[in-house]
Amino acid sequence: MKIRGAVAAALASAGILLAGWQAGTQVHGISTVTSSTTATGTKGSTGTGSPGTGSTGTGTTGSVGSSGTGSSGTSNSSASGTYTGTAVQTRFGAVQVQITVSNGKITEVTPLQLTDTDGRSIQISNRAAPLLRTKVLAAQSANVQTVSGATVTSRAYLTSLQAAIDAANL
Amino acid sequence: MQQISDPQARGTGSPVLKARTVECMGTVISLTLAADAVVQGQPTSDELTAATAVVERLFRGLDETFSLYLTDSEASMLARGELALRDASAQMRERYAEAHEWRLRTDGAFTPERPDGVLDLSGLIKGHAIREAGTSLLALGRRDWCLNAGGDVLVSGSPRPGSAEPWYAGIVDPADRRTLVTGYPLGGNTRHSALATSGSAERGEHIWRVGGGPGFVQVSVAAADIVTADILATAIVSGGAPTLDLAADTWDVAILAVHQDGTLLATPGFRQA
Amino acid sequence: MNTKLLPASPAASRSGRPELSPTKRQARGWFDRQYRQRMLRTDLLTVIAWASVAASVALWLADGGAAATTTVAEAFTAAGIVTGLIGMDLVLLMLLLAARIPFVDRTIGHDRALEFHGKLGKPSLYLLLAHGVLLIIGYGLAEGLDPVSEAVNLWIQVPDMWLAFVSMALFIAVVVTSLVAVRRRFPYEFWYVVHLLTYAAVATSIPHQFSVGGLFAAGTWQRWYWLAIWTYTGTALVYFRILEPVLATARHQLTVARVEAVAPGVVNIVMRGRKLDELAGTGGRFFIWRFLAPGMWWHPHPFSLSAEPVFNGPAGEGTLRVTVRNLGNGSAQLLKLRKGTKVALEGPYGLLSTAARTKNKVVMIGAGIGITPLRALLETTPFAPGEATVLLRGHTDRELYLSREILDLCQARGVRLFHLTGRRSPTNSRSRSNSRSRTNSTWLPEDAVRNGYSLTSYVPDIADADVYVCGPAAWAENVIADAVQAGVREEQIHHERFDW
Repeated sequence: MKIRGAVAAALASAGILLAGWQAGTQVHGISTVTSSTTATGTKGSTGTGSPGTGSTGTGTTGSVGSSGTGSSGTSNSSASGTYTGTAVQTRFGAVQVQITVSNGKITEVTPLQLTDTDGRSIQISNRAAPLLRTKVLAAQSANVQTVSGATVTSRAYLTSLQAAIDAANL
Repeated sequence: MQQISDPQARGTGSPVLKARTVECMGTVISLTLAADAVVQGQPTSDELTAATAVVERLFRGLDETFSLYLTDSEASMLARGELALRDASAQMRERYAEAHEWRLRTDGAFTPERPDGVLDLSGLIKGHAIREAGTSLLALGRRDWCLNAGGDVLVSGSPRPGSAEPWYAGIVDPADRRTLVTGYPLGGNTRHSALATSGSAERGEHIWRVGGGPGFVQVSVAAADIVTADILATAIVSGGAPTLDLAADTWDVAILAVHQDGTLLATPGFRQA
Repeated sequence: MNTKLLPASPAASRSGRPELSPTKRQARGWFDRQYRQRMLRTDLLTVIAWASVAASVALWLADGGAAATTTVAEAFTAAGIVTGLIGMDLVLLMLLLAARIPFVDRTIGHDRALEFHGKLGKPSLYLLLAHGVLLIIGYGLAEGLDPVSEAVNLWIQVPDMWLAFVSMALFIAVVVTSLVAVRRRFPYEFWYVVHLLTYAAVATSIPHQFSVGGLFAAGTWQRWYWLAIWTYTGTALVYFRILEPVLATARHQLTVARVEAVAPGVVNIVMRGRKLDELAGTGGRFFIWRFLAPGMWWHPHPFSLSAEPVFNGPAGEGTLRVTVRNLGNGSAQLLKLRKGTKVALEGPYGLLSTAARTKNKVVMIGAGIGITPLRALLETTPFAPGEATVLLRGHTDRELYLSREILDLCQARGVRLFHLTGRRSPTNSRSRSNSRSRTNSTWLPEDAVRNGYSLTSYVPDIADADVYVCGPAAWAENVIADAVQAGVREEQIHHERFDW
């Protein structure tokens, strides 16, 4: 009877593990694209070097960086189009990205879903993420009509960009 | 202090703008009017003078009531305890109520009290003044203008009247105030008309920090109205990342935050299209 | 010769309790079928336990965990995640084993459930410790931090992680004190209070499982699975350990009817209550009692019924009886219980009952206060006259508690009864005996051993009987060893520990 129990337990456990493994490899098969894109998307955040200690609260963003599943596998398909990856689990939560592929090269990575540190998932997040300076909307004082800055004292105004713009329009 | 000079004609493609500055509330307020090139030509000096006067009167009025720098203001009397809040003027109580509502909505990151307990509505008053000034300008029939009070911006219409072209506001780089980090379109066909920037550097203790953690030296918030933008920018500098997340989730805003080390954190609105 | 032999009296076997006659059951192999079903349930529990461990690893595998492990840092992290999952699963199994779920109790018995519970303590602690250490190292490697900085970093920066650290400290405290308490024999009460810390340890570990680990992020099926097993465990604990006892206490409204001396330091506590018909057949099983008197109400006493519940009123009004020996500070007060004291009860628990039977024949071997639950079992468990044997062991006749009642029962039901009194035989008797001796008979009186008696002398057909053993742990161990020598299989031996 004991043997029967042991055999049954072993079989059941093996079956469950096998099913888990099978499910895992399938997930992985899809996520090769995802993880490689995560790595691509990561460059931005690593580049900006959000503090090495990982920023509090903005863990979402830190997580994109630390998620780096490190997989270097890239989609071999030469097809073009937009693909949505599966949610990639990171230390702090799930990150899902949408990638645009043209001629087999990833041309754009858009984060679709960021799970914040509280485990709530936000669809098409409005959450802030690290950004390279070269990736922001470019602006030069020549083509803006006004300047926003931290509260400027009257004295500081004299040397401010706003003063220059105002002077130009006086 | 008012300065007037002749308008300078720009290149054919550039909008025709005319600006006037006023010094009040310890800062400089710039009002820029756009001329409707087709219909009206350039705005006349009279129109600009009248509009500026309205804005100035409004700012000065509010400053007299709410300034903690003026010893005989109502706010100073409240701060010294010579006046109880329930005996204060209706507008004082209204602003106080509004500030308190913001305290609740920002989970305490914005607060109308200094750490020493003194009531301090200055975090709200500038935004309120800009809002009121904007309302007055619209009431005057001015549709295309840009009002910048100490780096907080509210716009209406377009720099090119009649078109959908937005105003374009630059955001100053806290590390080098002569350069811009980025720009953001306001008014025109966009969702946001207001852009406010708060920092931890200027004016010393302008913003009280709530929590520790890696701080933001500068936070810019674009929103549909200037009070929301101004309060949230202040609150995020004070409350840090949790408040940033709260703001991004709760309001229709775009946020750009600059870390101490110069790195940027931005909601999708600030990303390159 | 201190041995009494009372041959079965067929004339007296017509006890007027037809339900006790097992003839019908015998014909159908009733006990054998009961045994098979119980073994099937045991196997089912074994499968569930192992499958849950496998499932916790499968959760991680299904998430693509193994495939994504390529670097050293990831290997550490992966190992940390897997040890955490298994460790927590074992903790959940421990909680379920201690939850007194009736299905578990009916299948393997309260004793063995607690035995497994205890066995899982150290492995789960080691796994959880490894979980913490491996993850700190893994995360540290990934971020280029030494483990200490990473630990500090996790504590400060990651929400809920400080709770996880607190939880770890509590787990260590609980396991260490449990081990020390067992070795040094701390009072049961001390051990009990420390054990309650387990709940704090488990509770503080929960938040980080759902908020920090990506595996259980919102929207994953893994999260639902994990939530489900947590919910089941929590519900089982609350229901069976809190709600059901409260309901039972309210249902039976027990009060102390009288306390009567049985022998020096030994009393019968008779309790009056209602709806006792619902407890029919629980004679011999144990309940956890709390006597709701000042200074006593918090003290739980595990006592077995020493007689079948007696009920005669329309609403099942009647009496329950336990027989108690003054063993420690807690039970000393019991001798002075006042009439009318309200009594809370949890139970019945344990397999010292007919539910454990596998054979038609029965042997009951009891010593000291362990005799008393056998007295209750003897009253109810079915057997034909001549198919049961009772062995009672004590230093003197006075230590054979309730022997008068047992004698009456044996006469009524046709049971062979032996009184084994006298000094215990020297412990080294085994080594002195010749190599062909197969006895461990130190549990027998010196006289009996000297005269060459062993277990099979009293019960020649013991290999074909269920053997109920009740008495001090060391003594019972010897009895069981002898029984096994005599060809009794493990499943025929029913032993209840009387450690407290």
